[in-house]
Amino acid sequence: MNRLSALLINLRNSRVWTSIFRSGYPDNDEKRSLVMVNSLFLHLHPVKVKKNTLKATYTFGLGIIAFFLFLVLVVTGVWLMFFYVPSVERAYSDIQALETSVTFGMLMRSMHRWAAHLMVLTVFLHLCRVFFTGGYKHPREFNWVLGVVLWIVTLLLSFTGYLLPWDQLSYWAITVGTNMIGSAPFIGDMVRLLLLGAKEVGQEALIRFYTLHIAILPLVMTILISVHFWRVRKDGGLSSPEEGAAVEREG
Amino acid sequence: MPETQHEVFPKDPSKTYGLMELVKGTSPMVDKGPEDTVTSWPRLLILEGLLMLGTIVLLLVWSYLVNAPLRELANPDVTENPAKAPWYFLNLQELLLHMHPALAGVIIPTVMVILLMAVPYIDRDRRDIGIWFASKKGKTVAMWAGAYTFVLVVALVLFDEFVRVRSLVSNPWWMPGVVVPVGIILVLSVLLYLIIRRWRPNTREVLVGFFTAFVVTYIVLILFGTLFRGLGMRLIWPWNMPPGGLTF
Repeated sequence: MNRLSALLINLRNSRVWTSIFRSGYPDNDEKRSLVMVNSLFLHLHPVKVKKNTLKATYTFGLGIIAFFLFLVLVVTGVWLMFFYVPSVERAYSDIQALETSVTFGMLMRSMHRWAAHLMVLTVFLHLCRVFFTGGYKHPREFNWVLGVVLWIVTLLLSFTGYLLPWDQLSYWAITVGTNMIGSAPFIGDMVRLLLLGAKEVGQEALIRFYTLHIAILPLVMTILISVHFWRVRKDGGLSSPEEGAAVEREG
Repeated sequence: MPETQHEVFPKDPSKTYGLMELVKGTSPMVDKGPEDTVTSWPRLLILEGLLMLGTIVLLLVWSYLVNAPLRELANPDVTENPAKAPWYFLNLQELLLHMHPALAGVIIPTVMVILLMAVPYIDRDRRDIGIWFASKKGKTVAMWAGAYTFVLVVALVLFDEFVRVRSLVSNPWWMPGVVVPVGIILVLSVLLYLIIRRWRPNTREVLVGFFTAFVVTYIVLILFGTLFRGLGMRLIWPWNMPPGGLTF
């Protein structure tokens, strides 16, 4: 036991360890600050947070759950890309092969599917939470606008992914969906043609939806999420009743 | 000008330190309230970790128990009946049954998104930040606006299914397609405003009422489209749903 703890202490004092973890175990406030500031992943957080931010009934953790689901979707989605070819000849049989002959194929596809639905739900609930707690107010006006855009991008990501299995469900759902877009006055037909690349849902639509789904929309999403998080920090963290009380005091 | 440097005195082990005197006076924190913060490490990080763990466990169990759906190979010659959009667009598809497609599929969603984005520029009073539903009054407004919307949306869907607006006015096409639905939406919105006004609400409380109405409409129409629309998009009970009627 003593030898083990001596070894651990030696390890923690070694040049390699201290070159990676600069500030040591955060057992005082200074180190608790340093550990947040020194890490790329943790520095998105402030060093200190308001207590009400941690209250379960204030945020319900919806934003972080939505973000985490996005990460799960990126990981499972990239994994699925190894087994999928976006062509009308192969797409459906690739999904069948994925389900029957790829290790964990069925589980990964199901996780991707259900995480997507769950994300659509979570993002909407997050939007409702922010509205009903008045979190959109000054100085967070623009972050609310970004949030609405993120909600729409989430829907578009889910919708573009819906076509990829190339089964009856996806084919007719996309046909119905794009017909709705096509009914827009003046520009409807043009937008529909731009999305589908043809008059009907076919190979052109599949490759367009695929590219939107795996490259363009995830990129847009990543950029918007970054700005969204950045602005949460710049606007002084999550909203809190304390801000309203301060306004009241100052008149 | 050199900035004032605060000298740091090291703790001297040969001296004792103690509280000598209490002085009455103001400090920069007077009237500011307690800071009320905690360090992110470990409180916030533990909570985030737990949320992530909970999410992934739920997702794993659910995905293990329920497989993602896969139907037959896409066939442009065989129309699915009912042919439904993904569930989160079924509220728009439900609207499609009651009005002109451009109105249901594009104009109403666009107007709603613009109105949502405009919210912080309409309500600029910062005094009630961070308070759920703004106030007790706001909660009452939300409850009644929700009940009002629920009853009316359900009634309107049933009315158009069993009486049919088009059987009452069918000519010209824009009467049942545009004028009647837009008229109903406007009249019911004004009526909602008049009802909310009896509580003498501020701007935010009015918005709480309208946003609640939006959310209730949004959800009720998704539920109608998902669970109560069968062959030919006719109203049915969920237990009579044909196997292809659920689009998850």
